[in-house]
Amino acid sequence: MSNKISNLFEVAIIGGGILGSALFSELSRNGVNCVLLEATDDVSGGSSKANSGIIHAGYDPMPGTLMAKYNVLGSKMYPSMCKRLGVGYKQCGTLVVGGIDDKPKLMQLLQRGRKNGVTGLRIINKRILKKMEPNIADRIHYALYAPTGAIVSPYLVCVALAEEGIINGGTAICDFDVNKICFKNNIYTICGNEKEYRQSVQAKFIVNCAGAGADYINTLAGIPSTPCQYVKGEYILLDKSQGDFVSRPIFPLPSSVGKGVLAIPTLHGNVMFGPTATPTSATDTSVDQVGLDAIKEKVTLSVTPPNFRKTIKLFAGVRTKCGTDFVIQKSDIAKNFYYALGIQSPGLTACPAIAMDLCQKLIKDGVRTNPIIPKKRTPYPDLSSMTDAQKKQLIAKNPDYGKIICRCENISLGEIIDAIHSPLHPTSVDAIKRRIRPSMGRCQGSFCIPKLIDIISHTCNIPKERVTLCGRGSEFITSELKENGVFAKRKNEQSMIEKLKSE
Amino acid sequence: MKTDVLIIGGGPAGIASAISASKTGATVTLVERENRLGGILNQCIHNGFGLHYYGVELTGPEFARRLASTLKTCQNVNVMLQASVTKITKTKLGKFAIQILSPEGLVDITAKSVILAMGCRERPSGAISLGGNRVAGIYSAGSAQAIVNLQGKMIGKKIAILGSGDIGLIMARRLFCEGATIVGVYEINPTSSGLARNITQCLKDFDIPLHLNTSVTRVIGKKRVQGIMVAPVINGIPDHSKEKLVPCDTLLISVGLIPEIELVSHMDLELSPTTNSLAVDENLQTSVKGLFIAGNVLHVNDLVDNVTREGERAGTNAGMYALSSQPHNKSQILLHDDNIRYTVPKYYYPNTPGELTIAFRVTQKLQRVRIIVLDGDNIVYSKPCPAIAPNEIQTITFKKPNIIHNLAIKIIPM
Repeated sequence: MSNKISNLFEVAIIGGGILGSALFSELSRNGVNCVLLEATDDVSGGSSKANSGIIHAGYDPMPGTLMAKYNVLGSKMYPSMCKRLGVGYKQCGTLVVGGIDDKPKLMQLLQRGRKNGVTGLRIINKRILKKMEPNIADRIHYALYAPTGAIVSPYLVCVALAEEGIINGGTAICDFDVNKICFKNNIYTICGNEKEYRQSVQAKFIVNCAGAGADYINTLAGIPSTPCQYVKGEYILLDKSQGDFVSRPIFPLPSSVGKGVLAIPTLHGNVMFGPTATPTSATDTSVDQVGLDAIKEKVTLSVTPPNFRKTIKLFAGVRTKCGTDFVIQKSDIAKNFYYALGIQSPGLTACPAIAMDLCQKLIKDGVRTNPIIPKKRTPYPDLSSMTDAQKKQLIAKNPDYGKIICRCENISLGEIIDAIHSPLHPTSVDAIKRRIRPSMGRCQGSFCIPKLIDIISHTCNIPKERVTLCGRGSEFITSELKENGVFAKRKNEQSMIEKLKSE
Repeated sequence: MKTDVLIIGGGPAGIASAISASKTGATVTLVERENRLGGILNQCIHNGFGLHYYGVELTGPEFARRLASTLKTCQNVNVMLQASVTKITKTKLGKFAIQILSPEGLVDITAKSVILAMGCRERPSGAISLGGNRVAGIYSAGSAQAIVNLQGKMIGKKIAILGSGDIGLIMARRLFCEGATIVGVYEINPTSSGLARNITQCLKDFDIPLHLNTSVTRVIGKKRVQGIMVAPVINGIPDHSKEKLVPCDTLLISVGLIPEIELVSHMDLELSPTTNSLAVDENLQTSVKGLFIAGNVLHVNDLVDNVTREGERAGTNAGMYALSSQPHNKSQILLHDDNIRYTVPKYYYPNTPGELTIAFRVTQKLQRVRIIVLDGDNIVYSKPCPAIAPNEIQTITFKKPNIIHNLAIKIIPM
């Protein structure tokens, strides 16, 4: 018996970030009839698309915390999960670097890591370090090397998990901005949006994974607000020509504020620097000159000065902090209501493990399951990772794979159309970009975005005026040409003059 | 598949080089990623092209069509449209192996010489530390031009332009004519980087304000641009205490062009930091024998006429190289004084007779000067110049004399 879309879901997950998507996949593969509700136009649209993309080894969290438990568990789950999903995972290891007096602090981290159950940790000295990372700063003498550290594409992992959930019978609804939660006869009615976009779904259980919006969602269910800090992290992304600046993420020694400003290679061959830790509001993802200057200054604690003239993009995400640990609870005020607050770093790493635990807890607490044979997600055809023979075969089947649209990243029309037709049916440029990377290259979309607008309009059969960057309110096109032009005005003037003459 | 000369890019530089290469008798393959020739000219519907080359002022598409028609009459030219070069390497036998992806499939071509004519990309907003949110309504000027001129769609109602580069100025006029309000052009430097005639014909003639010494520091808006913060620039640094909000719904960014040389960045090529491109000799050949380069990808040009002539020279030289690659005599560096920012070429052949074309930009505005070329102390070329500015490329051509010492190009008072 498969999970058909019905009017009443067993579980509603509010928030389509990495945690919500991981839980959505976990529940669906256990045959639970569930719905994923995402406020933005695409999963990962919140902080899950704007973070360091690092799968932490697990030496940083304090032993005995949920962070430590789920970090280490999650780190062990990632390789097989990424393989199952067909997304990239690169176990390059991570380094925490320190100056000549910092060996004791690094040893402290090492012991902590061992206590948390991390394997392979060791301290290395300057000579070996320089061979591993030629761009390490001169002041660095020691490093803690964690071989189980890795990098992923965080938004792609999130998208893949959401797709896996859909393929296994789950329902995902984006552009669903929850603004009301009612509970009657043991059933939740969750309402989203207003006016002509108003929607509602019904479910027996709710899991609130709404990230920076989670506290607000709690209050909708009658749970008092929990004090949270919203801390913005800004990043500077450099061109691929600088991609070999570092081979693995480089951390300074952590402080009370956080893990510090890092040098991070990305899965696709760029390098980025950040994040800052700027207290702000839940919705502020703006980048700031102050933040950028701070990154440029602090990064030189760990590495030689990068060539910031090769910057191609700036971005920011918000972390939600709720004290010093994750807060994952079943509410004792709202029935059958679970929430996760303060899923800051190491959130990305921890989420698959949190999701697994939550899923088991939900089933124990009465969520109905149907044993199903989980289906595997089909990854998008990725031209750039194919052999010549495979490319020839693909193009022979469909010439659209031979029409390059994004010239910087060599992405074809065929791949873009595949992304549009993928299970979540993305239609915004950003959503398509997160799946197969057009506009992520050195020109940042100045060549391909006009073409993407055309392609999305034709493939989704919508007028160009409705094609957006990231959902409603971010449309590219404002009108046809000639509607308001000087010649139109003159024409109007002419006819007015004629009219006056004839009167 | 084999060819004598392979040309990457079917814009004016590429087409011109294909025409002249075919005239040498070489077989030519021209690879263009769009499904028609013309390159960036196809979206430049304003006029101002061809006054020198054709003797008449044309629009971009008209200029491109004329060149393309001439190309059609050439023998031995194979044009591949909607084709992208994915790989280029030098083989052990000194030839070039090029891989091309197109709807027809994957094709490997061997060429004796290659001409790079890929043009430029625009500098993105990320490169200029523009703060704020990443929202809809921010375009590079060329991107906006493509949407407006090729798709016939309007991109905003109240438009601000960051940077006074030519593309931004052209778009200011274009969008004004489509009924948009242009709130202003904001230039961080004390002078505009665009051509003087564009400041007049695109801004002054339409009462569009040009704010020099002004920086756009951040974009305001949640999903779409709602305004920009601008600040006066004092000694090169924006004064944030004097920041002002300028309401608008669109921001165009026109802050410079970058030559698209990434396709060959894996090759051991001598770079030219002052042009952000490759160093070349007087034949427009790079430091890799048989690899030639012309047009905006070699150095950012202002006039398509110069790009076309440069393409012609590269084509002739690449064709001759392919048919009978003669070992060249030793080359020398063309020297220049501090008034000159860069010269194309960097190298010349003192012992090979013929014409020498030098393109250069000055470092600052100069009046009543003379361009001279010296061989040691001897003046071998001299041209008076009433006014000369950094934003206009100068080109001089003269017959190489018997060179005894070293050629040097200088700007001296008249």
